[in-house]
Amino acid sequence: MALLEVRDLVKRFGETTILNGVNLRVQKGEVKVVMGRSGSGKSTLLRCINRLEEPTSGSIRLHDREVTGPSVDIRALRRSVGFVFQQFALYRHLSVLDNVTLALRHLGGLRRNEAEEKARHELARVDMTEHRHKFPAELSGGQKQRVALARALAMDPDVVFFDEPTSALDPLMCREVAILINRLFVDGVTVLCVTHDLTLARLISDRVIFLDRGRVCAEDAIENLSSGHADPRVQEFFGQEASGR
Amino acid sequence: MSHWASFVADLLDQLPLILTGLYQTLLLAAIVSVTGLALGIVVLHLEGSHRRLVRVIVRGYISFFVGTPLLVLLFLMYYGLPRIGLVMTPFAVALIGFTLNVAAYNAAYLGTARNALDPAELEAARAQGFSERQVFFLIMLPQVLRMSIPALTNQVILNLKDTSIAFLIQYTEFFARMQELAATNFQFFKAYAVTAAVYLALVSIIVLVARVVEKRFLLPGSYTPS
Ligand SMILES: Nc1ncnc2c1ncn2[C@@H]1O[C@H](COP(=O)(O)OP(=O)(O)OP(=O)(O)O)[C@@H](O)[C@H]1O
Ligand SMILES: [Mg+2]
Repeated sequence: MALLEVRDLVKRFGETTILNGVNLRVQKGEVKVVMGRSGSGKSTLLRCINRLEEPTSGSIRLHDREVTGPSVDIRALRRSVGFVFQQFALYRHLSVLDNVTLALRHLGGLRRNEAEEKARHELARVDMTEHRHKFPAELSGGQKQRVALARALAMDPDVVFFDEPTSALDPLMCREVAILINRLFVDGVTVLCVTHDLTLARLISDRVIFLDRGRVCAEDAIENLSSGHADPRVQEFFGQEASGR
Repeated sequence: MSHWASFVADLLDQLPLILTGLYQTLLLAAIVSVTGLALGIVVLHLEGSHRRLVRVIVRGYISFFVGTPLLVLLFLMYYGLPRIGLVMTPFAVALIGFTLNVAAYNAAYLGTARNALDPAELEAARAQGFSERQVFFLIMLPQVLRMSIPALTNQVILNLKDTSIAFLIQYTEFFARMQELAATNFQFFKAYAVTAAVYLALVSIIVLVARVVEKRFLLPGSYTPS
């Protein structure tokens, strides 16, 4: 049984169909990578799964429980999904430590000192302990991302979403991000990562899903996708990106 | 010199009344600064309601009180409402009138600051599972208040100065007492110069306190909303 299973997911914004029947399975402990062109609906896919966007139709099951539909506890669903945003979106009025403790205290019901202990543990995982008293404005992009990850991990989510983890960073940071995600893999954290960064994809996962025209049109090892794939659009994407580097 | 001597003598003579007036001024200004901010925050919260009707009412409230002179409102309540059987003390009228007026201005300032928030942060909070109320109180409000410190300070200064119109509805505050002083010895210039100096001194204190508060609560790496 997959931890997360998306079936025939459709998302329309008015007349435009962005996701047109997406199917996807993520096993527990897996690092799943979804690739696709800019505008192919990668962010929309993640946002539908935790109901930041309402899916138009289709089924999404987390732990074999349907999470679409009006009777679902959306806030409980969101607590079980960690989300690391493209621009990190740290709370600028809070210190690094408080960014991580906020949900623990106000959603997890921990007292301040318990929450801080848990937060320090999560910050240590991403090597940010020494920066815990700084504010977001005093951090580099890579550091902000680590804090965003610690914030996402604090509530012990079932799965962590990354939306374009390298796009807001220096290209040289790609390896750092990969190390971070690989560490999650070793710890058994389930990851769903959307990106169009082929270098990152190679570093964190053997197989990738290719999203195009609102559908998953391939799922395979990157090597197989970049050479001689039946679908020319797949070949074009992976061929171009590879030679562009 | 004898003019000054007689003026000071009268001043000392009426000092207890003047100090009582000063107390009334500070009391009204302090209370409406607090209630005006509290109601302003409530209005800001309602302005973000998902119900259209609530938003329309809130906008109407702000436009009405920003668009009507406070004095007219006070007269309406003090001289008008008794005609329909509702009599209130000058203090009650001043308290209600000022609060409604000040809250409308504060809500407008806070609303401007809210437009400068990063929507991604609010979305991140929702994605973490916070309720709309939690997003408001934990993320929006702390940032909006900090960004609004200069505007809110200005409003406190205005509150202090504007309480002087309350004498027109028989609220005997500082300015009313100083007018009485001027009327006893006809030394208008001296009386009003002293009055002005006292207001100036009080405003300076507010400004100094506000500077400290602003330094303490400045948003780290803050951008100034333009
Ligand atoms: N709220 C919305 N209303 C209307 N259209 C939207 C909305 N959100 C996204 N879209 C459209 O959906 C399409 C897919 O957007 P999405 O952000 O999911 O793409 P993406 O694959 O994440 O792209 P990128 O790689 O640039 O981040 C885009 O064409 C976008 O304009
Ligand atoms: Mg995107």
